[in-house]
Amino acid sequence: MKKSKAAAKTKPPTKVARESGKVVIHKMPSGVRGLDDILGGGIPEFSFNIIAGTPGCGKTTLAHQIVFANATAKRPALYFTVLGEPAMKMLRYQQQYSFFEEEKLGRAIRFVNLADVVMEKDLDAVFQEIAKQVAEVGPSLVVVDSFRTVVRKALTSTSELEMQGFVQRLAQFLTSWEATTFLVGEYAPEEVKDNPVFTIADGLVWLSQVPERNSVVRKLQIMKLRGQESVPGLHTVRISEQGLQAFSRTLGLAARKSPPERRRRLSMGIPDLDAMLGGGLLEGDSLLIAGPSGTGKSALATQFIAEGLRKGEPGIIAVFEERPNGYTERAAGFGLDLKTPQKQGQLEILYLRPLDLSVDETMQELLEAIQRVGAKRLAIDSLVGFEMALAPGFRADFRESLYRMIGALTGAGITILSTVEVEDTFTAMPFSHYAISFLTDDIIRLRYAEIDGQLRKIIVVVKMRGGNHSKDIREYVITDKGVVVIGPRQTDYARLTTGLPEHLGQREEAPPEPKAKS
Amino acid sequence: MIRATPQMRDLASRLVTAETGKPKASDPEYPAAFNVCEKLRPHLATLMGNEGFRAVLSRALTVTSAEVKWLAEVQVNVGGAWGGWDKPEAQVAPKELRESGVLLVAQLLGLLVVFIGEKLTLHLVRDVYPEISFEDLNHT
Repeated sequence: MKKSKAAAKTKPPTKVARESGKVVIHKMPSGVRGLDDILGGGIPEFSFNIIAGTPGCGKTTLAHQIVFANATAKRPALYFTVLGEPAMKMLRYQQQYSFFEEEKLGRAIRFVNLADVVMEKDLDAVFQEIAKQVAEVGPSLVVVDSFRTVVRKALTSTSELEMQGFVQRLAQFLTSWEATTFLVGEYAPEEVKDNPVFTIADGLVWLSQVPERNSVVRKLQIMKLRGQESVPGLHTVRISEQGLQAFSRTLGLAARKSPPERRRRLSMGIPDLDAMLGGGLLEGDSLLIAGPSGTGKSALATQFIAEGLRKGEPGIIAVFEERPNGYTERAAGFGLDLKTPQKQGQLEILYLRPLDLSVDETMQELLEAIQRVGAKRLAIDSLVGFEMALAPGFRADFRESLYRMIGALTGAGITILSTVEVEDTFTAMPFSHYAISFLTDDIIRLRYAEIDGQLRKIIVVVKMRGGNHSKDIREYVITDKGVVVIGPRQTDYARLTTGLPEHLGQREEAPPEPKAKS
Repeated sequence: MIRATPQMRDLASRLVTAETGKPKASDPEYPAAFNVCEKLRPHLATLMGNEGFRAVLSRALTVTSAEVKWLAEVQVNVGGAWGGWDKPEAQVAPKELRESGVLLVAQLLGLLVVFIGEKLTLHLVRDVYPEISFEDLNHT
């Protein structure tokens, strides 16, 4: 409904004008790869946060990473240690991580041992000591590790109400002194409900270790974060020499650019196949090539990428069952040069066989490679290999994560070709045992068929979400030029899809024998 | 067994030299090495607590006193202060006093190196003794 000019004059101020008076909450980098995406941009400045979890989850390491990423000599960090882990012990272990910068100690990062005050005095004395140090140093960051120890000791002689008062006072003081605070503590999930600390906190980062079969998966959850939109759910965390690394459930793809409005048709590098696809694959589609071993799935994937490279579209090939060198050499056998574009930074062949990585970590590798080369085409060869490369505990998440990744990448205009191996049966033509066709726009099925005493290959476009496509079942061969679709539709055979077709027509002469060039 | 490296011995020697000639007013014969440890104490106690510092210093003293007899009379009291020090029963020559003091400080530094590494140990000592040069420490 159109609005009148008068109505337009009296309309409330624009959103921009209304928002102009809002407080701007600056966000600090966490220093943890992947965590800022999960947090919704970073750690809100001057917030009062809790890092909680069971022992061994990486709470102290996370606190250290945040501190090392942000503390400067001008705006230092105060790290209060209590009984759990004295600073000396922390330094012994934390210096093993690459984020540890020895130069920052003493000037940018100052450790203060609170153990004596906590053990010998009351909560008021603890507050006074923290306040004294904060007033002296003027820190940008304050960490109390472990705050749980402070609380546990105090609760032997203090009421819960007094404890709440102490936490409230501490939060107010530290925020007033423009410090971003982290209270580190060992808590069990059931404590969240009743503990006043969690009520007062602006942010609550929960770390956990989840056993899955023989693997243990580290998880991170932002249970609470005032003032900004964090990514909900459990995110995988890995602790390596670099410290913590977090893998967002959304893989940081939420903010990716939108696909082009008019989608081009992309050539597969095989003119006959392009024709079967109605002119080519639609840009931003996800295509599944399903077929048994030896039907040329990898050859098709290679041609798809090579054709993109020929047209100036960088690409990524993720391989799981074959090493990149072998893949490159086999492509050379088809006359496709994958070496030069790799040297030029137009192509990366990723060999992903980590075996103990989570699906999110593996996908993160893929996404980073896509960003590095500015890929427009991605070939995943194969989904079976992809799943097998994951530790058993992570396989349950495979389809869900794959769904998210494919959805997000195709949404950003990247065209994906995935291969999947299916076993040929001679009673039906399954597309995939994966039931993943829901995440593909297009499906091409390859299979063997017994014709005239030969095991030949047939190809059919089963599904194309973006438009009409050929319904023909075509025979093809793999030559030294890769996959080549040959011959017209076979009308003199029925039940080709079973693999055991029935010859219907009269053959006046034998058809030319389709076989690969020697 | 004294575990300090030549580098730590050299550093210990420099620290003891820095404290030589600055005796406690109440006791002109107070070993310079004790002064070094006391000067390091507040800084290290911040990192490990008073009890932590006392434990490390006690260990250094015990190991060193196996080689230096007069140190057997000495104890580390609560809070890390020296005790049992009045004057050694047998007169200790100033040279021996200095050398054994260097051993004690070197042992303390050696323990710190074991716990937190050489780089951090030097960093911590540098904060307490900014006037001392660390550039040409003996590595051999």
